[in-house]
Amino acid sequence: MITLAHITLHHHIYLGLVLFFIGLFGVFYRKNILVVLMCIELMLNAVNLILIATSQYYADLNGQITAFFVMTIASAEAGVGLALAVQAYKRFKTIDTQLFNRFRG
Amino acid sequence: MGEDIFSSVINTVKIVIIFLFMVHMVPLLVWVERRASAFMQNRFGPNRVGPFGLTQLLADLVKFIFKEDFASSKTNKFYFYLAPVLAIIPVALAFGSLPLSSPIYIDSFQLFGYSLGPYLFEIRSFPMDVGIIFVFGVSSLAVYSLLLAGWSSGSKFSLLGALRASAQAISYELALSLSLLGVLILFNTFSFDQIIEMQNQSLNFQFFSKEIKINFLPNWGIFYQPLGALLLFVALFAEANRLPFDLPEAEAELVAGYHTEYGGIKIIIFYMGEYGHMLVASSLMVILYFGGYNLYPLLNEEILQSWLLPNFSLTATSLLTSLILFLCFFLKVLFFLWVFIWVRWTLPRFRYDQLMDLGWKTLLPWSLFNAIATAVVIWLVNWGNA
Amino acid sequence: MTPFLFYTLSFLALYGALNTIFRKNPITCAMHLALTMVALAGLFFNIGAYFIAGVQLVVYAGAVMVLFVMVVMLFDNKQTSETKDNKHMAVKVFISVFMLGILSGVIPHSTGFTNKIVAPEVTPTKSLATLLFSDYVLFFEWIGVLLMIVAVGVVLLSRSEDS
Repeated sequence: MITLAHITLHHHIYLGLVLFFIGLFGVFYRKNILVVLMCIELMLNAVNLILIATSQYYADLNGQITAFFVMTIASAEAGVGLALAVQAYKRFKTIDTQLFNRFRG
Repeated sequence: MGEDIFSSVINTVKIVIIFLFMVHMVPLLVWVERRASAFMQNRFGPNRVGPFGLTQLLADLVKFIFKEDFASSKTNKFYFYLAPVLAIIPVALAFGSLPLSSPIYIDSFQLFGYSLGPYLFEIRSFPMDVGIIFVFGVSSLAVYSLLLAGWSSGSKFSLLGALRASAQAISYELALSLSLLGVLILFNTFSFDQIIEMQNQSLNFQFFSKEIKINFLPNWGIFYQPLGALLLFVALFAEANRLPFDLPEAEAELVAGYHTEYGGIKIIIFYMGEYGHMLVASSLMVILYFGGYNLYPLLNEEILQSWLLPNFSLTATSLLTSLILFLCFFLKVLFFLWVFIWVRWTLPRFRYDQLMDLGWKTLLPWSLFNAIATAVVIWLVNWGNA
Repeated sequence: MTPFLFYTLSFLALYGALNTIFRKNPITCAMHLALTMVALAGLFFNIGAYFIAGVQLVVYAGAVMVLFVMVVMLFDNKQTSETKDNKHMAVKVFISVFMLGILSGVIPHSTGFTNKIVAPEVTPTKSLATLLFSDYVLFFEWIGVLLMIVAVGVVLLSRSEDS
């Protein structure tokens, strides 16, 4: 039962879900590689919110450890993604995702 | 906020006073800086307006406030005005979470027919269990102000300064947090209160199941972590963008770096951010390595209470204790602020590659070494009693 | 934890997220994403996960987003204009909203994942560290190896070709 006056675990989960799908829609909708990467970060953050809220409310620390690992992987992913974006910009002078149409295997 | 109206009011007033204290240190520090630089370079410095030129800053402030609020046509207005605000918020948050003095105990009393109390007020804006993480978390947000200031100005010099500043901040943040690891391993906590409490005793440690105690020395972090303290201080210099690390505003190359296009009241707010950063850095050094507000063999809460309690009431004793310990803390912080100013007018600026080399090839390996060595030594020394 | 704080922070997070995907200028997007991350850090503080909140501030808001802002500033703003592609917009909206609807509808009825209403206690950092360095120590080591590989890879990637 969701009420407005008392904050429960489900409030956090709904917030996380909404943030996740905003991020997912952003990945579909935007064409700028940098913004697409940002949307992926947003999705990872939303997952982290759900993990941490569940871990706190269930008093089970495994969720927080997972969130910690997610953060580490996300920072690595951002580093590689940005380096790739910079290289793509240097070579093709654009960072639009339409760029990928030019790749032929 | 507090359980009743009285404590809420006191807590609000406390937050405002701590913020105002930080802001009011800025003119004082600017004055000290100008006088000190003048004496070091065999000049007079400001000495006409008021005694020792003390009111020169007031005159400057009036000039700054009445200057035209200018923004060139190429600026992105919103971020241009947001950047100075972002410069001061992280510093104010970080300073607010530092314990400045011993808590004040107020005995129960009567006011307008209501009986109130007893209360215990901490001398900090908000209590925070994970003090160190919070301080580093919020101060890592300060980079946004530099980046936005540089980018929104629409000027090449500003943008170059901003990029330099952020690269420098990210590089030195690593060395900063790694050099802290030693002291964290040593005291085994993140909380400032516990760190101060553990330094408030005579120097004692276990040496292969033998208890060693030196009575005339306090249990300060600096005696265990001299290398860590040095590395942290250097990294804090770089984070505060002070000379010799002020590459972001190297005037020979970049005019004035990220705040080239700023003037009037906006630049004053940037100065507040910079000097506030110095204040936070000095307070961190004092709290982590120099015993915080206590001066163990001479001055701490118990000693002061044993002097004052026979003559004053409980509340008055607590107030006086807090005041005296605050002065003690303040003197220690002033010493480190003086070192900041002293170094600025002594050392020349690094070249950019030297700066990056120092960060990545010197500070980072040494702070890693410091952390590992501390962990190994603590493990070895506690061999028998684990 | 007060409902007021939760609603303020979640409003800020949603506002930041929506602006991230709908604003034109990549810098504006990045700043709004940073706002979302700071708001989420506030939520973590609010439910008592202090350590993770601090890490969220340092890693996400302080390092990852700064990197994003830096890279965006390096690109010329005029050349990063996006093509407008409104093909299959109905499909995109449908997938996002439909999956959100399904998941939100399922959660209240799931067994084994019941709602908790008791306000959580503050997690002691020490127990988190104990768990990280006992049960998860192998993962921790592998994460270190992964970061090393990533660091080397990024250096290789971002070297210019003529050098």
